[in-house]
Amino acid sequence: MKALMSVAAIIGAAGILLLAGMTVGIVPSNTVRLIEGYMPVQVIAELTLFVAGFTGISYMMSAMGMAFPRFWQGILFWAFLLIYLKFRVYPPIPFSVRAMYGTISLVAIFMWVSANEEDWNKFKQPIMNVLDAKTGGTKFLRIAYLVIIPILIGGFSYNAMVPKSEEPIELRTVHPAPPASTKVHGKTYTLQTSQNPYRVNPEGKYDQEYSNSNIVEQGMGRLMKPTSNPWDKDAQGYLKYVREGGEIFYQNCHFCHGDNLNGRGLHAFAFNPIPANFTDPGTIAQLQETFIFWRVSKGGIGLPNEGFPWASVMPPWEQHLTVDEIWKVILFEYWHTGYYPRTWD
Amino acid sequence: MKNLISLKAGKFLTTAFGIILVSGISGGMAFAADAALPAGFKKGDLAPEPSADMIEAGKRVYFTKCVWCHGVDGAGDGPGADRLWPRPRNFNQGTFKIRHTASGELPLFDAKKPVPGQNDLFETVTHGLPGSAMPSWEGILTEEQRLQVLSFVTTQLVKDRKFTDKQSESQTILQLNDLKPIPASEESLKKGAELIVEKKCIECHGVEGRGDGNAFNLKDDWGFSIQPANWHKCWNFRGSRQDPYNVKNIFRTFSTGVNGTPMPSFADNSTVEERWHIANFVNSLCEREADGTPLSIDPLSDKPKVNFVLSSGVVEGEISADPENEMWTKRARRIIAMGGQITHKPRNFVNRIDDIWMKSVYNETHIAFMFQWDDRTKSVAEGKLPWPPTSVNIDVKEQDPKTGEEGSIAMHQNNYTVYNDAVAMETAVKWKDLPAPIKPRYLFGSNEQFPVDIMKWEADGSLRAFKGTGWDKDFEERDNYEESSKLLFSEWKNGRWTVIIQRPMGNKKDQDYDEDTFFEMGQYIPTVFFAWDGHNGDAGRKMAVSAFYYTFLEPPTPKEAYIYPVVIAFGVVLLEGWILTRRANKRKAKKA
Repeated sequence: MKALMSVAAIIGAAGILLLAGMTVGIVPSNTVRLIEGYMPVQVIAELTLFVAGFTGISYMMSAMGMAFPRFWQGILFWAFLLIYLKFRVYPPIPFSVRAMYGTISLVAIFMWVSANEEDWNKFKQPIMNVLDAKTGGTKFLRIAYLVIIPILIGGFSYNAMVPKSEEPIELRTVHPAPPASTKVHGKTYTLQTSQNPYRVNPEGKYDQEYSNSNIVEQGMGRLMKPTSNPWDKDAQGYLKYVREGGEIFYQNCHFCHGDNLNGRGLHAFAFNPIPANFTDPGTIAQLQETFIFWRVSKGGIGLPNEGFPWASVMPPWEQHLTVDEIWKVILFEYWHTGYYPRTWD
Repeated sequence: MKNLISLKAGKFLTTAFGIILVSGISGGMAFAADAALPAGFKKGDLAPEPSADMIEAGKRVYFTKCVWCHGVDGAGDGPGADRLWPRPRNFNQGTFKIRHTASGELPLFDAKKPVPGQNDLFETVTHGLPGSAMPSWEGILTEEQRLQVLSFVTTQLVKDRKFTDKQSESQTILQLNDLKPIPASEESLKKGAELIVEKKCIECHGVEGRGDGNAFNLKDDWGFSIQPANWHKCWNFRGSRQDPYNVKNIFRTFSTGVNGTPMPSFADNSTVEERWHIANFVNSLCEREADGTPLSIDPLSDKPKVNFVLSSGVVEGEISADPENEMWTKRARRIIAMGGQITHKPRNFVNRIDDIWMKSVYNETHIAFMFQWDDRTKSVAEGKLPWPPTSVNIDVKEQDPKTGEEGSIAMHQNNYTVYNDAVAMETAVKWKDLPAPIKPRYLFGSNEQFPVDIMKWEADGSLRAFKGTGWDKDFEERDNYEESSKLLFSEWKNGRWTVIIQRPMGNKKDQDYDEDTFFEMGQYIPTVFFAWDGHNGDAGRKMAVSAFYYTFLEPPTPKEAYIYPVVIAFGVVLLEGWILTRRANKRKAKKA
């Protein structure tokens, strides 16, 4: 038990030092990076590690006779959570959302410290001590609180009332409701029944299994399978069309969606919100190919009225590309991100 | 006896000193032998050839990630190449820009050890080349995958030279870690300012370093057009290594030159000290906050962080037409990030204007906007333009994208018909009537129901007001609005435009609210900015465009902001008293 706890304590201490160093800037702030596409999982894993670490630290300290009062444990843990949310998570979370997380964690901490009568008494003991002010120290504290709290609250309310400008949050509907059918270059496509005509095996037959077995591998780097090189001169069917789709992508789409399809292209920084990140499991991985076909063909301007807000400069690609080119680009996007499109069944 | 010992000790000491002295001299001699090398450089060894496994694994990375721009044979002619400026690197000749090695030499690359400062190509792939389409691959490819792909590129795609050939290649390495930077004191900056004239930096980079010196006559080794760096945008320095305000990067580039471009190495004709002064001065020119601290850089884009609210400050009396007036110099500025308009034809893949600095003030009747942006050339169209100012669907050719062919962007780059430099801002009309999430479209409004108010300034001195009702609908002129608006100032100087326009604030009573935006205090008014670089062939929809920003007129502080907090604080004091008495009573009760 003790060995386990001391390992946890070391992890916790190292984690805190690293986080503090990265926040203050002693250690480069990208020492431990948030991995793209896995951020939520990573954040939860990190927090779990920290909780384990704190448990270890608290255990070791009480084992060494320096038990840490529950009161301060609760307060410090809450402060840690707030700091973590503010400085660790990037891109930054808006204050309103952080306030929500803060409230929820406050409630959780209260539940923890008041789990049983004894704990609760221990927790409120320091507060009662200050209220009663029996010793010189607590007397001083009581007077200090009496003065500081009204000043702080007055200051906060002044701050809240002074007119200032805050960036309005820009939202975008990620998956607006699609129409039943869409008309592109004079032909009507029913979203439920249309298929990507280039998802074919070398014999030219529609073959989802074949195409899925030739996409890039998931995991760091998302690299192609060594045997499935679209640039192979002999590539036929699916892989050949992937290459053609890639050529179109790198002539038209990467300016915004990025060389690595992560929404960080050359022009991306000028947009708000930034362009869609296809490597995120929440975008194309959740959609059917025909949905993408509709969005690519009609662009931001083709969003239905229910698709508000219209914060999208996505071009209506039917102005620039042929139907075949649009299907090939879609094929490439799924190949390059390693996701399977959703199907209707 | 004692004397003897001290004598011996003395002898010993002398000998020791002698050895140190001799070694010092020999060290000096070794240094003299190195004198053929430029100051600050040392000879290094060629790295061993990467293993066949590494090369094979790298091929897989290359054909997944890199081939799309750099091409099948690494000739920098992949499908994406023609619409990029600067173009992707042609690896075949082994010409690499960012190095620690002397001018003309191959860069440092060792497949085994990515030691900081000793692996140029690894760092290029890791940090990307800001200001170009080359992204940072850190976090996307693992360290090993980056080394693998470089093993493939250096052995298979660099065709005219060989990284391991001792006969033809040498490595003369800049000892950047051993050279101590000179602090950027006022004296150092002054020397640097003199040196950039003496070393003729300003001939290409311009008097104020905005890259406007010899902007349109430079070509790289392959004959493609290339432009001198703008020292005021250090985040776009190719060699900034995602650390743009670090003076060492400038020192390195200045010492080693940029292979394949007209930028030479200054190692032979400048001392190390001189190079630090120049690097300090160039670094000091990069845009900073008003208090001199570096701008905060967004790690996701490697560009300055953007705030989407442009706040306008209140001033007394008439708005000054002089940008040096306190009214303007005291105002905080905001950076507006600009991207190419690639939504509708004609598209602009290589927008030369990538940001605008904005300031705004207002008085009782008018609001004024100051635009400042860098543009290497002042462009004014010769003769009359072939379309009316209100025309939207104008015929500016969208380029044929084949390499080498007449008309590809790469060939055309310096060869466009010159139109007017211009800027415009678009604000929503009837923005108060828009249901909460609705905004007009970015480009020239959505329809008759949600039109936009457009004001456009052009380098021929015109300031026009239009109503826009859709991206492909011709603008409508607005009656007498141009007369009530005013161009306060416009000037192009050393690569930077400064333009101040003033317009009525508008109010519901006196203005035609169907055409003009009513700028109401304390409200967020959706605003979009457009910019055209006339020398880039920008006209009509071929332009740079921003996202939606918000113009916000700062209201004065209300009286309540001084009263309520005091009342609240007093209330808290009462509450505290109540809690304390309650507690005291409880204890008394207990005791009793």
